[in-house]
Amino acid sequence: MLWHKAWLETRGRFLGGLALCIIVGFGAIYDFRATERLLPVVRSIDPATLDMSGPLGAAIKESLQAQQSFRGFVWWQWYRQNLTYLVVIFGALLGAGGLLAKSEGATLFTLSLPVSRNRVIGTRALVGLAELLALAIVPSLVLPLLAPSIGQTYSVIDVLAHGACMFVVGSVFFSLAALLSNDYADVWRPVLIACVVAAVIGMLEYIPPIGQFGMFKVMNGESYYRHAGLPWIGLLVNAAIAATLLRTAAVKLAHRDF
Amino acid sequence: MSEAPAIETVDLKKRFEAADALRGVNLRVPAGSIFGFLGRNGAGKTTTIKLLLGMARPTSGRACVFGLAAADPAASVQIRTRTGFVDENKALYEYMTVGEIIRFTAAFYPNWRRDLEKRYLQSFGLPPHQGIKGLSLGMRTKLSLLLALCRGVELLVLDEPTSGLDPAAREEVLQALVTHVSTENLTVFFSSHHLADVDQIADHIAIIDAGRTVIAGELEDLRAQYRRVQLVFAGEAPEIAFRASGVVRVRRQGRVLTALSSAGSDALIEEAMRFGPVSADVLPVSLKEIFLESVALED
Repeated sequence: MLWHKAWLETRGRFLGGLALCIIVGFGAIYDFRATERLLPVVRSIDPATLDMSGPLGAAIKESLQAQQSFRGFVWWQWYRQNLTYLVVIFGALLGAGGLLAKSEGATLFTLSLPVSRNRVIGTRALVGLAELLALAIVPSLVLPLLAPSIGQTYSVIDVLAHGACMFVVGSVFFSLAALLSNDYADVWRPVLIACVVAAVIGMLEYIPPIGQFGMFKVMNGESYYRHAGLPWIGLLVNAAIAATLLRTAAVKLAHRDF
Repeated sequence: MSEAPAIETVDLKKRFEAADALRGVNLRVPAGSIFGFLGRNGAGKTTTIKLLLGMARPTSGRACVFGLAAADPAASVQIRTRTGFVDENKALYEYMTVGEIIRFTAAFYPNWRRDLEKRYLQSFGLPPHQGIKGLSLGMRTKLSLLLALCRGVELLVLDEPTSGLDPAAREEVLQALVTHVSTENLTVFFSSHHLADVDQIADHIAIIDAGRTVIAGELEDLRAQYRRVQLVFAGEAPEIAFRASGVVRVRRQGRVLTALSSAGSDALIEEAMRFGPVSADVLPVSLKEIFLESVALED
C-alpha cells in the first residue's frame, strides 16, 4: 500500500507534468509547419555572407542545419530544449517531498507503521521514477502519432532511445531533490535548488572542454541523433550519480531523529 | 498480569544538539496495565514515546518493548507490528478519505480487526467517504483511535490522546478506550498532562519532569503511600528537619506546618509529636497533589 500512498502524494505533479508535456509536444509538431515555410529563405542565404564565428554564430549555424529536417527539428526543439527543461523541473518536483514534507504531513503516522524507513523511501523513489519514465516517454509518443498529419514520420524507436536518455539524466535531478528533502520540509526549496544546479551545469556546458562531456548532451541524446548510438558511458555515469544521491538520501533518513 | 514488562527503559537519555530532552527515564510498564505517563509540557513524554517506537535513537540507556531493543531498526519494525500509536497532533494523510486511510493502515496488520472497524466507524460516526482534511479535531482523534485500536495489537501507545478535545469528546474517547481495554487483552501506555484522564483510567503511573522519572508505580499504592500531615502548634510552627524517610516537602505558615510524605504518615507523626503540636491530622492526597508536588520538587 505504500506505493498507493506515494501515488496519491505525487499524482497531481505527475499528471500536471504529463498534461503540460503533451501540450508542448503538440506545439512542437505544428511549429514545424511554420519552420518549413521559412526553410526556402534559410536555404537561400549564402553562408559565406554571414559571420558564423564565435559560440553564438556556431549555435545559429547548428540550429539552422539541424532544423532542415523534421527529425532534426524535433531533436533541436523538443529534446534539446522543451522536454529537457520540463523533465528537469518535473523530475525535481517528483523527487521532492516524501516523508518529511509538511504538505504531506503525518510523518509520525508513517513511522509508526511496521515498515522500515528504507522501504518507505524506496517505494516512494520507485513510484516517482516510474512517473518520471512516463514523463520522459509518453508525451513524445505524440510525435509518431501526429507526424503523419503534417506529412512527416517519426520513429517510435527514436522516442524510446531519447526517452531513455531523458529519464536517466532526469533521475539525477529527481534524486537530488529527494536528498534535499531530508533537510527541507517544504517541496519548493529542493525543487528550486535542483533547478539552480541544473542551470549552473547548463551554463558550464557552454565552456567547450566541459561541454564535450556535458550531462545535457547525454540527456538530449545528441550522439543518438547524430550517430544513432546511445551515450552509454554518459548514461552509466548519470545513473551512478542518481543511485548515489538516492542511497545518500536513504542513509540520511535512516539515521534521522524525528 | 504477566511478569515480563511490555515496556522497560533503563536510564534512558536523549540529547538534541544543545539540549537534554531526557536525562534518565526509568520505566517498567507491566503487560496488561493501563499506564499513565504524566508530565508537564516539554517534560520529555513525546521524546520517550519516539524512542520506544524507533522514531529517534537514544543517546544512552536502554529502551525495550516486548523485550526487543527499540533502537534496533529491525526489532523496531517487529515492535511496531505489535503496537498501535496515536500521536499528539493526530496528523493523518490529508489527501485520503476516512475509508482510504483505514484500507491503507489495515494492509500492514495481518490481525486487523474488521469487526472493530465496523463497530467504531458506526459508534464514532465517521463517514468513510469524508476527506480527512475536512475532519474536526474531535473526529480526527476518533479516527486516529480507530486506526490504533483495530490493528489487533498487544500494546497501544497514545501520546496526549485527548488533547484539544472538549469535555464531551474527551469523555467519549476515554470511554471508548476503557471499553476496548476491558474486552481486549492489551497494554495501554498513554501520556497526558490531563490528570483527570489518568485518574479516571490508569492503574499505573509514572511522572516525568525535566527529562527524569520522578515517580513511578501502581496508582493505588501511590495513593496509599502519599499522605499529607497537617500539624497545628500553639505558637509559631517550628522549623523541623524531618529524618523520617519519604518526606517530600514541608511548608510552614504561621501556626501550621504541613508535610507531604511518600512513605505513609506513621514515622512522620511520631517524629513531629516530639515538637508538641496541639493537633495532627492525616489527609489523603490526590493525584493532582502528588503530581504538583513531584514536579515542583524538581524546580
